[in-house]
Amino acid sequence: MNPRRQKRLMAVSAIVLIVGGAIGLMLYALTQNIDLFYTPSEIIQGKDGKIPQVGQRLRIGGMVVPGTVKRDQQTLAVSFDLVDTGPTVTVSYQGILPDLFREGQGIVATGVLTKNNHIKAHEVLAKHDEEYMPPELAEKMKGIKHVKPDQASYGKPGAGE
Amino acid sequence: MKKIAVYLIPLALFLGLIIFLYQGLFSNPREHQSSLLDQPMPEFVLPDLMDIEKTYNQDVFLGEVTLLNVWGVWCITCAIELPYLKQLQGEGKHIVGLYFDQDMDPDFGIKTVARVQQEVTDKLSQLGNPYAFNIFDVKRDLSLDLGVTGAPETYLIDQQGKIRLHHIGDINARVWNKKFAPVYQELTAQ
Amino acid sequence: MLAELGNFALVLALMMGILLSIYPMWGAYKNHTKMMAMAKPLAIGMFVFTAFAYGCLTHGFISDDFSLTYVANTSNSTLPLYYKITAVWGGHEGSFLLWVLIFSMWTVAVALFSKAIPIKMVARVLSILGMVGIGFYLFMLLTSNPFDRLLPFFPIDGKDLNPLLQDFGMIIHPPMLYMGYVGFSVAFAFALAALISGQLDSTWARWSRPWTIAAWSFLTAGVALGSWWAYYELGWGGWWFWDPVENASFMPWLIGTALIHSLAVTEKRKVFKSWTVLLAISAFSLSLLGTFLVRSGVLVSVHSFASDPSRGLFILGLLVVIIGGSLGLYAYRAPQLKATGRYQLFSREVLLIGNNVFLTAATLVVLLGTLLPLVHKELGMGSISIGAPFFNQMFTYLIMPFVLFMGIGPLTRWKSQSPQALYKQLLLAFALSISAGILVNASFEQSSYMAAFGLVMSFWIIVATIMEIQQRIQPQLVSGKLTILQSLQKLTPSHWGMVFGHLGFAVTLIGIALVSAYNVERNLRMTIGDSVSLQGYEFVFKDVSNYTGPNYTADVGHVDVYQNSKKVAQLSAEKRFYPVQRNVMTEAGIDSGLTRDLFVALGEQLKNGDWSVRIYVKPFINWIWLGAFIMAFGGVLSISDRRYRMTKMAKKPQVDKTPSPVLKEQIS
Repeated sequence: MNPRRQKRLMAVSAIVLIVGGAIGLMLYALTQNIDLFYTPSEIIQGKDGKIPQVGQRLRIGGMVVPGTVKRDQQTLAVSFDLVDTGPTVTVSYQGILPDLFREGQGIVATGVLTKNNHIKAHEVLAKHDEEYMPPELAEKMKGIKHVKPDQASYGKPGAGE
Repeated sequence: MKKIAVYLIPLALFLGLIIFLYQGLFSNPREHQSSLLDQPMPEFVLPDLMDIEKTYNQDVFLGEVTLLNVWGVWCITCAIELPYLKQLQGEGKHIVGLYFDQDMDPDFGIKTVARVQQEVTDKLSQLGNPYAFNIFDVKRDLSLDLGVTGAPETYLIDQQGKIRLHHIGDINARVWNKKFAPVYQELTAQ
Repeated sequence: MLAELGNFALVLALMMGILLSIYPMWGAYKNHTKMMAMAKPLAIGMFVFTAFAYGCLTHGFISDDFSLTYVANTSNSTLPLYYKITAVWGGHEGSFLLWVLIFSMWTVAVALFSKAIPIKMVARVLSILGMVGIGFYLFMLLTSNPFDRLLPFFPIDGKDLNPLLQDFGMIIHPPMLYMGYVGFSVAFAFALAALISGQLDSTWARWSRPWTIAAWSFLTAGVALGSWWAYYELGWGGWWFWDPVENASFMPWLIGTALIHSLAVTEKRKVFKSWTVLLAISAFSLSLLGTFLVRSGVLVSVHSFASDPSRGLFILGLLVVIIGGSLGLYAYRAPQLKATGRYQLFSREVLLIGNNVFLTAATLVVLLGTLLPLVHKELGMGSISIGAPFFNQMFTYLIMPFVLFMGIGPLTRWKSQSPQALYKQLLLAFALSISAGILVNASFEQSSYMAAFGLVMSFWIIVATIMEIQQRIQPQLVSGKLTILQSLQKLTPSHWGMVFGHLGFAVTLIGIALVSAYNVERNLRMTIGDSVSLQGYEFVFKDVSNYTGPNYTADVGHVDVYQNSKKVAQLSAEKRFYPVQRNVMTEAGIDSGLTRDLFVALGEQLKNGDWSVRIYVKPFINWIWLGAFIMAFGGVLSISDRRYRMTKMAKKPQVDKTPSPVLKEQIS
């Protein structure tokens, strides 16, 4: 191999290594930050035969069961149950709920599964529009109690932990 | 020629992207047909909006092709839709309202039935009343069973009391001619 | 009646667009001067009719014409007048009319200010803009006509403007953003015109540079305003959410930044030609893609307009025609693009292209993060969302080499730079920035590594930029001909443009680093009379009062802030209720300052009368937006450079049917 070709080979392999490394790094970061979406019944009964594991990060969407919102008297800790068509899942959250959070309202929460039916959320969103709820939700559970219509608006996530 | 292949990469990537965007466009949840399609109306026993003593059940739809329109006075799109429904009624369509009021919800402050009736009367006398009668879905149970996601929504129910169509959003001439009219004519022709 | 006229004006504008896309192009092909000369009046006509239509719609809003569907949906008789005027772009149809209006403004500007450019080129450019325009006008008339009527039955009052949009930031944010988005259509048209004509030297790069920089400046300001709006209006203190719509505006910005740099290289050194063309196509394509994402409902985000598949389908068709067509043309012509300049591995060219690579990589990261949920779902793998940490992490990695290159780039020479000559200078800059960064960081209690790191990077850019100026004026100083001030005045505006652009970036970076590391947030439960200490500030929750605004009612929480027992701020955080839309809105109380923002927002009222309250102290957050405006100002300076004043140049006899002379000035 002559020196020039050798040099070129070195350059090409360096580029391949760098690009490969970058892609690998990105994919790794990506897998760490993907949150799968579940409904309450999918958390209990499994989705496509797979039950999410305790400790897994996920997003859950469902309707807040009326009468289950419990506020701690001293702090901002709050817990509530979510339901779609089957069993309920309890979500606990520390912080300020979004403006549009209400009982009977469809919401989406992001957090970690701490028990098979309990999620510790670090973000709660109440996002809705006059004609649709979060589409993930609408798609999974047509048949939820109606959210407040005629609010061509949405909430913003509650702040982090 | 090898060179052109390199310069075709952006185009190829873009076309790949387009495929997903196209699919994404049509996996719109609102386009999904209700799972209740061709199912009989769910069972219910609910009062008449204007006369709470009188109740209806699912058999009320038997024998006539009915448009069941989910609405409320708080819903502005419904108000926009009312005149067209009135026109449909004028053409001899049987339209039944499924009414619910979010303000009956404790979260929004209690509203008396009389107050709701007054609001409905006001609205209908202002914009025209297309409804043969209104079913009052007090606790939104029927809406829940029907899979209502917003208002207005409309169901087309056949003579056997089966749901044949479900439309989310307002009904206008375009929606009627495109979506409802063919099914409606087929049903009434029987 | 006016609405019908407006509609008719839009149809006429479409006709103008159709003629504009045919005649000048045909004229350029046939070498027919009269046909080419038609481009200008047609472009003016397109603009005038669009402006008239826009005026008609505005009139509909001011006069509360609720027989117009769009007005009924986005306005209300109780809305204050200034919001009625801005509500014109508060919904899908009207904002698209604004988009088209801005598009026709750019077109007319190209027609008027291009006297120095050969008429054939202008004819082709305007023709391409006309073709793009046809797509826009058809989209509006067929799927989102703002002049649709609700006759014969129309509501007595409108649905009201979304309360989130009843705000000053929202008044100026969309026009700025659209100026940027649509402005890239000019760079796009120049690139395509060059491809079509086969005139593949780098003259097109010089002509399109001022337009591209102008669009980029607007986009910079628009993105910053959007971020600022989200910060104070959404009520929870974040300034960037990696929301799909934000991403949609950020991607064209990243590519646009790469483009203005790459255009400079192509213009001066006649290299990277095909790459620059590709960037010009991509910048506009990403603007269109962003439009598609926002307006089709494919991705759901805080800002998206209510979705409609038929609209989405139309825009998708538009994307296929415009982007697909241009990329096809690119594939066909690009192999003929030949670099004529030569350069070595260590040179300004390579450093610039290096930064282009990082900017492109950043764009791809954002694109991936935005579209992966969609792809994932379509592949039947379930709905997912991608968390903000992914973006933050990737950008942290990317910014390190980016900033390194950004500092060295301006110090190096074109063609080739000997590393030894720079070695000492860089070492000095490095030492200076590290010590400055660490020193400043040490002034914070509980100093954080990430902040130190961000500061060092910012100082690196600042030090290198100053060194570059010093290096530039050194010869005059040494020869003793000029004083410092005089020699600084001799630097060209476009050189100052680069300086401000880079310094602005450093300022933004300082803001980001400090606010990310030293931001203090508390979510509290507070009773009236409670107080809490945060970062040396004492927040006292004084009381809550009520008042009635023009179209809402509000609870106002009054919070006094003391520092060293001295009152420094009086904040009022509002919780507004808009009855027409039955919507609750949080208006944060913010005391803004150069070194810190004090931020208070009311959460919900709790059962026993307590309130949940957010209290934030955000150091240096305003620097983020300040930096962006410095960057945009740099862009404006660049455009003001004499060599872009094409109308003046045209008066000189020697200009210009031939490719431009090589310009001696060195800027990037």
